Amino acid sequence: MPSMSADDMSYGYTTDLAAVRAVVYRYAKKAGLPEHRAIDLVLAVSEVAANTVRHAKSPGSLKIWYDTQEIICQIEDEGTIHDPLAGRRKPSMDAMGGHGLWIVRQVCDDVEMRSDETGTTIRLHMKLPRPRPGS
Amino acid sequence: MTAIPVESALWYNKGVDLLRVSVTARESAGEPYTLVEIIGEADVTNTDELRRLLDDEVSKQPRTMIIDLSGLRFMDSSALHALLRANRSLDRQGGVLALVSPQPAVAKILRLTTADRLIPVFASVADAAAG
Repeated sequence: MPSMSADDMSYGYTTDLAAVRAVVYRYAKKAGLPEHRAIDLVLAVSEVAANTVRHAKSPGSLKIWYDTQEIICQIEDEGTIHDPLAGRRKPSMDAMGGHGLWIVRQVCDDVEMRSDETGTTIRLHMKLPRPRPGS
Repeated sequence: MTAIPVESALWYNKGVDLLRVSVTARESAGEPYTLVEIIGEADVTNTDELRRLLDDEVSKQPRTMIIDLSGLRFMDSSALHALLRANRSLDRQGGVLALVSPQPAVAKILRLTTADRLIPVFASVADAAAG
């Protein structure tokens, strides 16, 4: 597990999800994530942060860090997810909600979720491509 | 003073921070259709406005509604639900919804949720209007 270092960032958000997405995209590219995976990570973080906007009554915070192996986005808020299997099943197309966490689990390489009455922490992992020999 | 496109009987812009939506009444080979252009970024913070606007247009019972996504940089699942809702309502009243030219991030969520199998996606408005 990479730990945070000087190059890492921490970002608070309330409803400015476009700014959250811009930050994630910038760091994803900086970490060396290919374009289509950067798009996936932006989508995943935006869906998690959207849950903060929907359910939590206070701002959320985003931390991003990376090493040579992976980039991690950690989103924390004071909301509570009661269903431990949230997002593990694909909602039907008729369902008018519930796609968010399912999408997150589809696009990320790994998702860690911890939630209790004090709040929710979701950690999204994306593997970075191995540097080519000689580069 | 707002410019009105020549092919349009109806036109308006709705600025919702990140999102701009314009609606135009058009015709293709004598068949009228409603063209909705969604520009910017659509997410949970502006879904209510998007849903209301699409509901309004659907309630006018167009036979064909085409949503041009070429100017939409991002769409989240709540905005997708607004599109799915419009599709379902149109379908129930015998109308058709088509999507045009999604950018990569938007194409991704359409593909992932298989919404692109429910709503046809075209490369251009002309293609969509030709059906």
